[in-house]
Amino acid sequence: MTIRTRLTLWYAGILILSLLVIGIGTYREIDEQLRHEHRRAPAEHAIGETSEMIFQVGLPAVILGLLGGWWLTRRALSPVAKLTDTLEKIHEKNLGEQIPRTNNGDELDRLTEVFNAMTTRLDNSFQRIREFTLHASHELKTPLTVLCGETETALLDESLSPAERERLFSQLDEVRRLSKIVDGLTLLAKADAGQVALAIEPMRLDDLVRDNFADAQILAEPHGIQVELTACEEISVCGDRHRLRQLLLNLADNAIKYNQPKGGVIMSLLKSGNMAQFKIVNTGAGIQPEILPRVFDRFFRGNPAHENTIEGCGLGLSIAQWIVSAHNGTIQIESEPSRLTTVTVRLPLDKKETA
Amino acid sequence: MRVLVVEDEKKTASFVRKALQTEGFVVDICHNGDDGLAAVNATPFDIVVLDIMLPGSDGLSVLRQLREQKDKTPVLLLSARGEVGDRVEGLNLGADDYLPKPFELAELVARVRALTRRGAENKSIVLRVADLTLDTVTHRAQRGSTEIELTAREYRLLELFMRSAGQLCGRMMILEKVWDYHFDPGTNLVDVYVRRLREKIDAGYEPKLLHTVRGSGYVLKEAP
Repeated sequence: MTIRTRLTLWYAGILILSLLVIGIGTYREIDEQLRHEHRRAPAEHAIGETSEMIFQVGLPAVILGLLGGWWLTRRALSPVAKLTDTLEKIHEKNLGEQIPRTNNGDELDRLTEVFNAMTTRLDNSFQRIREFTLHASHELKTPLTVLCGETETALLDESLSPAERERLFSQLDEVRRLSKIVDGLTLLAKADAGQVALAIEPMRLDDLVRDNFADAQILAEPHGIQVELTACEEISVCGDRHRLRQLLLNLADNAIKYNQPKGGVIMSLLKSGNMAQFKIVNTGAGIQPEILPRVFDRFFRGNPAHENTIEGCGLGLSIAQWIVSAHNGTIQIESEPSRLTTVTVRLPLDKKETA
Repeated sequence: MRVLVVEDEKKTASFVRKALQTEGFVVDICHNGDDGLAAVNATPFDIVVLDIMLPGSDGLSVLRQLREQKDKTPVLLLSARGEVGDRVEGLNLGADDYLPKPFELAELVARVRALTRRGAENKSIVLRVADLTLDTVTHRAQRGSTEIELTAREYRLLELFMRSAGQLCGRMMILEKVWDYHFDPGTNLVDVYVRRLREKIDAGYEPKLLHTVRGSGYVLKEAP
């Protein structure tokens, strides 16, 4: 029960109670007077009149009271409703925005003030975490460059034994892996800080999908995986060509990496309402329902057993999600374990095309 | 060939110097932007390797001043910021190439080499390495007298290898030139394509032409 309903009911109750008290008082008074004036006349008639009067005046009064109560509490609580609406819209990206205050010094204004102070504090902490990640990823680049360069320089030495050479190569592989992680981390940290500029231009999404299909076929061949493109409608979107290619390749690569040998991958690009809908289905082991909501999390790996067999930096899907949301689109994963896993990306069509 | 390396990080500068010297370049080093600019004005260099983040004038402003002085020395930018936006900014200012940090030394050397070849690169219509020929107008490839069927992507890959025959092509460079990818796609796309191309141009022929340089990339040449 909302506060508003509760207050209205209380209000109506008090009103009825006071009416009753007044009613009973009036009744007694009239009764007394009647007895006094016409000792013999039966009081029933007057009593009937009185109760009729109470009914005729009392009922509308109760109804008016209820409506008035409803209106009053609504008025009194409207700042709370507004506050709730504003608070609902708060997420980590707009924490810095302040809730407008009435400045009339009442309890709700005070509450707004406290909320604003709280979100500001939260915003500062988020900001610090973002800055930390960004600085950390920058700081890692110089030592990584040195590590990579010095290992490569060491490999130039002709007098190395095959075992030493092998060790250095293995070291170099790890440095490269680390570099990839740092690259991904920098990109995401910059995206969080709103520092990545997209080169948005109108383009044909179907061209990118066909290109990606060709690459996917080549990538899938060594695994005996069949790749199909079942539909590819002519679709224009406004987007950053490089980022969208990165997105498509990432999804295709995942569909192949997490597939079973001799499995299949099916892609399609269709218009759906005013969105372009790209679907990629694979026949891999799938994702358990309990971990499905977490697959876009940074460094999240569904199956720890994959960790060493499947290369990748653990940031691919986080980056994919960022690219999609930077294009005002949505990305969704559905999975029936050990049957089919479907990734659906929806991007808004180029406005000229929808018009 | 004389290269100026403008890099404030001493260790990086030192192994870049070593690697370029091994390749036969004469290398000068400056640790800040102002010295770098003065050095270019004092001595003609064939290539400048310029880090963006430098104490004093940063790499981009050094580049801007160079180009304002009508100095056309090829410039390879290095950047720890490594974003497509920075790359575009650098190239707009007149840089000839851009390499994000952390970079691989082999990749850097390959790019410096490519810049020295610029202008002098093989412009002939028919490229030839041993008995492998590639017609850049008709896109026809032949090994000996046998015609080789190539997809569009394979053609671009082979053209890149043949134009830089004898030189290492790093993975990043291949991704940029053949796919126009300026990010690491995190897949073994390049390796898979090269494997296919190798099957077409090398399988059943001697000598083998397309060689893997472990960890760094590929090179097309006659002798191993």
